[in-house]
Amino acid sequence: MRDHEADTTGLAPIFSRRLLGGLLLAASASRAARAADPIRLGAVLPLTGPSAATGTQQQRGLQFAMTRFNAAGGLAGRPIEILFEDNQAKPDQSVLAFNKLADLNKVPVIFSGYSGPTLAMAPLASRRKILLVNGAAQADRLATASLYLINTLPVIKDEVAVLARYLVETGKKRAAILFQNDAAGTTGRDDFIEAYTKLGGAVLGQEQSSFSQTDFRPALLKLNSLQPEALFVMLSDGLSALAEQAQQMKQDYLVCGTSFFADPLAMRHPGAVGWIHTQLRVKAPPEIAEAFQKQTGTEMEFFGSQYFNAGSIIFRTVGRLLDAHKEVTGESVRAELFAIRDFNELIPTSFKTNTASMQVDVVRIEDGMDVFVKSYTSE
Amino acid sequence: MLLLQLLVNGLVTGCALAVVSFSFSLVYSTTRVFHVVHAGLYTLAGYGAWSLERAGIPAWWGLVVLPLVCAGLGALVQLWLYAPLEQRRATHLVMLIASLGLLAVVQNAIAAVYTPNILQFTDPWRARTVALGGVVLTAVQVATVVLSLVVFGLTLLLTRRTLLGKRIRAVASNPFLAEITRLRPGRTYVAVMALASALVAVPGVLVGMDLGLQPYGGTTVLLTGTVAVIAGGIGSLGGAFLLSVIITVLQNLSLLVMPGQWSVGITFLVFVLFMLLRPRGLFARAG
Amino acid sequence: MDYFYSYATLAAIYVVLGLSTNLLVGIVGIFSVSQAAIFGVGAYVTGYCLVNEVVGFVPAMLLSALACLLVNVVVTLPALRVSGDYFVVTSFGIQLLATAVFTNWTGATGGASGLPGVPPASLLGTELVEAWQNLALALGLMALCCLLFHLLLRSPYGRLLRAVREDELAVAASGKGVLRAKVGAAALAGVFGGVGGSLYAVFLSFVDPSSFDLNGSVLLLTMVVVGGARTLLGSVIGPFLLLALPQVLTMVEIPTTAAAAARQGLYGALLIAFMVFRPQGLAGEKL
Repeated sequence: MRDHEADTTGLAPIFSRRLLGGLLLAASASRAARAADPIRLGAVLPLTGPSAATGTQQQRGLQFAMTRFNAAGGLAGRPIEILFEDNQAKPDQSVLAFNKLADLNKVPVIFSGYSGPTLAMAPLASRRKILLVNGAAQADRLATASLYLINTLPVIKDEVAVLARYLVETGKKRAAILFQNDAAGTTGRDDFIEAYTKLGGAVLGQEQSSFSQTDFRPALLKLNSLQPEALFVMLSDGLSALAEQAQQMKQDYLVCGTSFFADPLAMRHPGAVGWIHTQLRVKAPPEIAEAFQKQTGTEMEFFGSQYFNAGSIIFRTVGRLLDAHKEVTGESVRAELFAIRDFNELIPTSFKTNTASMQVDVVRIEDGMDVFVKSYTSE
Repeated sequence: MLLLQLLVNGLVTGCALAVVSFSFSLVYSTTRVFHVVHAGLYTLAGYGAWSLERAGIPAWWGLVVLPLVCAGLGALVQLWLYAPLEQRRATHLVMLIASLGLLAVVQNAIAAVYTPNILQFTDPWRARTVALGGVVLTAVQVATVVLSLVVFGLTLLLTRRTLLGKRIRAVASNPFLAEITRLRPGRTYVAVMALASALVAVPGVLVGMDLGLQPYGGTTVLLTGTVAVIAGGIGSLGGAFLLSVIITVLQNLSLLVMPGQWSVGITFLVFVLFMLLRPRGLFARAG
Repeated sequence: MDYFYSYATLAAIYVVLGLSTNLLVGIVGIFSVSQAAIFGVGAYVTGYCLVNEVVGFVPAMLLSALACLLVNVVVTLPALRVSGDYFVVTSFGIQLLATAVFTNWTGATGGASGLPGVPPASLLGTELVEAWQNLALALGLMALCCLLFHLLLRSPYGRLLRAVREDELAVAASGKGVLRAKVGAAALAGVFGGVGGSLYAVFLSFVDPSSFDLNGSVLLLTMVVVGGARTLLGSVIGPFLLLALPQVLTMVEIPTTAAAAARQGLYGALLIAFMVFRPQGLAGEKL
C-alpha cells in the first residue's frame, strides 16, 4: 500500500496520466481496506529468562490463533494484532508491562500466564477494568483474585481431585509426591494431599525440585525407598529427563500427573510408557496440530493448545461484539464472554464462573500417544 | 541400597562440578577476575555437542571438538574484554559487571538460537546402564567420573611440571612482581583462560548428555562451584575438587534426613559458618 | 499516565535501595551481592503485617526498617572478618540462603506462591490506591532518604567512612573505631533497604520470592555502578536509567521470534559497553 502512494510522484511523463488514474483508484481502494484498522490486544508473558520455554510456547499458541482468525477474514473485517510484552515471569515487570499496554496501547484484553505475575496484575485489572485472561496458571487463588480475571482452564484443585479419585478407585492407596518448588507445584502438592487423604489414601513422602532443574535422581532414589504404589508428579518442565532417569531406575510404581504431562518429547520417551495423567480434553485435531507445526516449527503441546484455545475464545467474543456494533472494552468483552458462556474452540469450555469448567479425562501414555482411560467432570 | 546409590550419584555429580570448580579456580587465582562467563562457556559446550549430534556426528566427538572451541573463545574473552578493562584499571566490581553482561549476551544468544526449551541428546549409548556392586550407573555417569579425574590429573601435571604451569603459579602468587620481571602476565592470562575454558567444556558436554540442556542453568552450577573454590582455599586446585565432591555428596545424603528443599540452603548456611570460623578455607596456599 | 507513574514509583523504590547498596558497596567498600535479600526481608515484614492486619502501614514500615537493620548487621559481620574477595562468595551464599528461606518458609512468607493481596498503604486515614498516590508516597520517602544520605556524606561520620575505605589501617591506627563505623553503615543501609522493601510491598500488593533473588542483587549492583558509585546523583540516575532501558528496548522493533532474548542480550551488551567506556558510571567517582 505504501508503494502505491510513493509511486504517484516522480513518474515518467509519458505514462503519468493513465498510471496516475489507475494508481489513484488502487490507492483509494486500499485506503478503504486500511480503514479497517487492527484490533489490538495485549499479552504479558515470560519471553526470556528461565520461564521462557513455556512463555514462548504460550506466545506461539496465541500467534497461531491470531493467524487463523486473520486468514478467515479477521473480526468484522478487522485484523487482530497482539502486542507482546516480556515480563520474565516477574511480578514488578508484569505491572509495568500491564500499565504500558493499558496506557500507551489502550488494549481491552491482556493475556497472561504464570500465577505470580497474574496475581500481581489482578488488582490492576480490577481498577482499570481491563480483562486479564489467564491461559495456563492454575494456582487456586486465581479463582478469586479479581472480577476481571478470567481463567480459561480449571484450577489445579479440580484436576488433582480427579486424579486422586482415579488412584483410589484403582486401588493405589499409598503415594509419594515429586513437585516443583514454585506456585503451581506447591499448590498442586497441597491439593493432592488434601484430596487424596480425604479419600483414604496415604502420602508416604514428598520431594521437591527447583524450577528448571533436571537432575531428579536423588529425589527419585529417596522416593523409591518409600515404596509407594503411585508417584504424583507436579512438574511443568524437564519431564523427558524425568522419564529417562525413572527408566534407568527401573521402578515399578505408577507415575501420574496433571495435564502438564502433555509434553510430546516426554510422551515419546520409552520411560514414560504407562504414565497416567489427567487431561483437559486438550487433544488438537491432527490438521490443526500439523498447521501449528508448520507455522511455528514446534509441536503443539499443552501450552500451545491452551493459548490457542484462550485466544480463540477471546477473538470469538470480540468478533461477536463487533458484529453487533458494540464498543470493545474490558467490561463489554467480559459481559459478552459470560453471555456466550459455552465455547467450542479447541476444547469445550464453559464459563459459569471466572474459571472455566472443562471435561477432565484420565489418560495413559502409550507409544507417545494418550490413550483414553476414563472421564470425569470437574466440579 | 539407597545410601550407596545416593553416595555414588553424589560422587558423579560432584566430579562434574569439580571440573567446573577447579577450572574457575585457575582463572580466579591467576587473574583475580570473577569470571562468570565461565558458566556461559560451560553451557555453550553442551549446546555445541548437541549441534554436532544433530549434524550426524556422534556426540562423543564433542569431547574433542568443544574444548578446542571453548579454549579459543576463552582466550578471546580475555583479549577483548578483560585485558582492555585491566588496562583502564577497572576495579573488581566493574570487571564483574562486564562479565555478567557478557554472560547475559551468551545465555540469551543460546536461547535465541536454540529456543529456551530443555533439549535432550538422543544417542542411545549414553543411557546404557551398568551395575557395579548394587549400584546402577549410566555410561555417561561413568565417563563423567573417569574424565573428570583424568583432566584433573592432567591439569595438576601441567601446573606442576611444565613451564607454563610455573608461569601460572608465579603470576598467581604475585602479579605485580610478575609484571616488572617481564613474566608477561598478559600472555599467561590468555593461556590460563584458554586452558580453563577447555576444561569446563568437558563437564558441559557430559552433564548435557546426562541431564539435558537449558540456556540459563549454568549460573547455579558455577555458584556452587565458587563456594567449593573458596571453601577449599583459593589457589588450591585439589581443595576445589575435593570440596566440590564433598558438597554434592552432602547435598545428596542430606535427603536421607531432611526434605530436599533445604539441602541447598543448608549448603550455604554451612558455608557461611565456615567463612566466619575459618575464612582462609581448608587448604589455602600460604601467602 | 499510569505507565509513567508506575515506572517512576518503581524507580523511586530502587533509588532507596540503591542508596542502601551504594552505602555498603560504594562508600564502605563491602562487596555485597545480598542486597536483594534485605530488600526481600523488608517487603515480607510489611507484607505480612498488612495482610494479617497486625499493624498499620507506618508501624509496619518501621518494623521492616528495624528488621532489615538487624539482618544487615548480622549478615555483614563476616565481611568484617574476611577480606573483599572471600566476602563475595559469602555474600552469594547469604543471598541464596535467603532465597531458600523465602521459598520454603511457607508459614511466614507464603512460600513459592507468595503473599497476595497486600492492602494499599493508608496514611492519615486515606488509602493510597491510585497510581499517583503511590508515586507521591514513594517520591516523598525517596527524597527523605536522599536527604539523609546527603547529610551523612557531609558529616564527620561520612568522612570517617570514606577514610576507612581509603586506608583502613591508618584509621585504626589513629584510634577511631573502624568496626563501629562499618557496623553503623551496615545498619543504616539496612534501614534504607527496609523502607524500600516496605514501599515495594504496598505498590505491587503482592510479594513473592522472585523479585529478591540473586538477579535482583545483581540488578542493584549494576544500578549503582552504572549510575555512579559513592555519589547521591549516581544513586538516583542509576535506577531511573536501568529501569528505563528495558522499556526503551521494547520500542526497538526486532523482527525475529527471538526478539525478547535479543533484547536481553542487547541489555548485556550495553552493560559491557558502559564498563569498558565509562566505568565510573554516569555521575560517580571511580570505584
